[in-house]
Amino acid sequence: MASLFKRKALGREASLGVILIFAVAVTGFINPRFVTGDGTRDLLSATAIVALLAIGIAPIMIMRHIDLSIASTVGFSAWLVADTCAKNPSFTWVQCFLVGGSLGIVIGILNGLLVAGLRLPSLVVTLGTLYIVRGGVYVVSNSVDYNAQEMPKSLLKIGSTAFFGLLPVPFFLALVLMAIVAWFLKYTKAGRDCYAIGSNPPAADLVGLKVFRRTFLAYIFSGFIAGIAGVFYLMRFAQVDSTAFYGQELAVVAAAVIGGIGLLGGAGTAVGVVIGALLVQTIQGALAALGVDAFWKAAINGLLLIVAIYADRILASRSEKALLAQRIKERV
Amino acid sequence: MANKGDLLLEMKDVKKRFGGAVALRGTSLSVRAGEIHALLGENGAGKSTMLKILAGVHVHDGGEITLGGSAFISGSPQASIDQGIAVIYQEPSLFLDLSLAENVFVGRQPKKGIAIDWKEAEAQASKLFKELGVELDPKRQARGLSIADQQVVEIAKALSMNANIILMDEPTAALSASEVERLMTVMRNLRAANKAVIFVSHRLDEVFAISDHITVMRDGATVSEKKIAQTDLQTVIKEMVGRELTELFPKTDHPIGDVVLEVENLTNAAYFRNVSFTVRKGEIVALAGLVGSGRSEIARSIFGIDSYDEGSVKINHKPLKKNSPIAAMDVKIALVPEDRRQQGLFMVAGVNRNISMESFSRLTGRFFINFKKERALTNEWRENLSIKYADQSDPVDRLSGGNQQKTVLAKWLATNPDLLIVDEPTRGIDVGTKAEVHRLIDKAAGEGKAVLMISSELPEVLGMADRIIVMREGRQVTELSRKEATQENVIAAATTGKKGI
Repeated sequence: MASLFKRKALGREASLGVILIFAVAVTGFINPRFVTGDGTRDLLSATAIVALLAIGIAPIMIMRHIDLSIASTVGFSAWLVADTCAKNPSFTWVQCFLVGGSLGIVIGILNGLLVAGLRLPSLVVTLGTLYIVRGGVYVVSNSVDYNAQEMPKSLLKIGSTAFFGLLPVPFFLALVLMAIVAWFLKYTKAGRDCYAIGSNPPAADLVGLKVFRRTFLAYIFSGFIAGIAGVFYLMRFAQVDSTAFYGQELAVVAAAVIGGIGLLGGAGTAVGVVIGALLVQTIQGALAALGVDAFWKAAINGLLLIVAIYADRILASRSEKALLAQRIKERV
Repeated sequence: MANKGDLLLEMKDVKKRFGGAVALRGTSLSVRAGEIHALLGENGAGKSTMLKILAGVHVHDGGEITLGGSAFISGSPQASIDQGIAVIYQEPSLFLDLSLAENVFVGRQPKKGIAIDWKEAEAQASKLFKELGVELDPKRQARGLSIADQQVVEIAKALSMNANIILMDEPTAALSASEVERLMTVMRNLRAANKAVIFVSHRLDEVFAISDHITVMRDGATVSEKKIAQTDLQTVIKEMVGRELTELFPKTDHPIGDVVLEVENLTNAAYFRNVSFTVRKGEIVALAGLVGSGRSEIARSIFGIDSYDEGSVKINHKPLKKNSPIAAMDVKIALVPEDRRQQGLFMVAGVNRNISMESFSRLTGRFFINFKKERALTNEWRENLSIKYADQSDPVDRLSGGNQQKTVLAKWLATNPDLLIVDEPTRGIDVGTKAEVHRLIDKAAGEGKAVLMISSELPEVLGMADRIIVMREGRQVTELSRKEATQENVIAAATTGKKGI
């Protein structure tokens, strides 16, 4: 297990991959259906939204901030897109994404101005917008629900298509986004700035990094992705009410933390968070395969989050102790 | 590229005030290419303020600064970087999660097309490390790097920005002897490359080993600027100290009684080793030395905030449980910590609540706090210490620094301690209040309390203490009686580790 806790990016991802394969193998042993084509497709479909959102908040969390408003944004976006489609039967899937994405950007701007502009603590700000946005859905939805018949056929078709019967389109899109964000985080100045800002905020100011701009844009990106994820929600469930995706923000944060983004910022990769999302989903699938009641899902999510944060803490204190030991050795 | 001997930096009569406090009252400094220039002075002489002005953190109020003939553009760290000034702070400010190559080039990564060219960044960083004579792996993460290696990375960063003036604030404070040697080699290489190196240090032996010029500052002004050949250790120490002992310290003689505190072979591997001393009733013992010499950590270990690895602490001949402030308070130890805002007070709570904090047991009725008693206690100490406030329940945040310090003292004196430990009791308070604090400490000793005082201010140490224990890098260098101690021998012991000069 020790290698699991190595801070090196590749090491962390490789060990996560091993754990993932192990978890899939165990689950498959208990319930062979889990490793069939159908089982794989189900797993990937179920993971797509969380994976997408986890990639979306990755830059924010790398900068030592957080965005808890994403699940509410997914709910609002899903409801608003369904509502718009119901009122405009000629809507195509492209317009659905435009509506969802735009709503997300607006919420992202609000978060960004409060956190980056006013320098308010992101945990409190986005906890506030979590309730504001969810409250917004309750008010505008007025308890109206929508079902498959009100949604564009072209949209639902994307949701149910899978390449080779294995790779669902939504998950494939999440993989594309992962590749783009991974490249951005590794090979652009803006991406590297995210790590520097999260690693040592005062030093980032001292070397003249554009802290406001990076933080602000990261919130807009996260909001945009959450808006898009709302459309994914419709693709997967083909129905929506005002409680859609309620309370799922912590599953996303759990996936990101398990995937190697420390809450202290400065570390983590897009590939890691996708593996983290898969792992969370696999463990839940495994528990279902073991016959554990679905009501346990929320409790399991919470447990996973605590385990992940604890692992992260052990990591941090170990490297701190090693550093101190080294210093003492140098002085003597 | 500058030629050797070119005037790179000239500061003339530079002034800086912070509110009412004058930090620089007229500092001058001229530094040439290919020179290592030491900046010396006691704590509070204004060295850090000067560095921060050049770093673009502060803006000077008066005087002239020119860089290679053109006026210095002040007020932003970025502008200072652009003008070829690099500052290496005492605590390096690296991004610990990032690789060394990335730390060198943060914000200025070399690009190929639209993507960062990591190979190029690593190759360039590697080349810079080689030039500095320290082979570090540019792919390595900065976390876990020793302070010495972190400084090398900072210097490489400075070179990659084409800095020609490199400022170092106490670069050797946290280094071991071999690391100091390596840093000196790097500094000599920089000199050979016709850079100007300005460094602040309290270690005078090192200063004389490496620098070409020495500028001494005192009370915010330049006292002397000399070539190394024109001066010597004793002259420099005299120039640093300068002032005469004033009558600010009304120390009176008290009968000295039985031993109260006995510290034996106390060791905490990270901070101090084999420290042994005693403090008696009515006696004031000072721990002198530089910031970071382990003095505050000793106080913390005695009071039980930190643990210790070896040794023992006895109070009134009885062993004291380690790592338990409650046990320490039970045997009547009081600790007035060095940072009153962070460690000494509850800033938003009232003066009364702060003063009564450690005396609750005497103020409670059967179940509840008796506020009448609390008021009486606060009034008593307000009079004893002449603390100035409008209302008892005023948050201490609103009090001046001096009155805050008196409040912390009142809190602990109210517990009627046998041993009073005061850590930097007069830091950041004005001269008048200083004298009052000294009078109070003297009075406490007169009442038969044992007093252990930690202070970085020499006049305070010399004026107040019956005995002085000089610390350097976690070790006891020497112990001087009131009679033996002079400014010169205390400074010499604290900075060079030698017992006499």
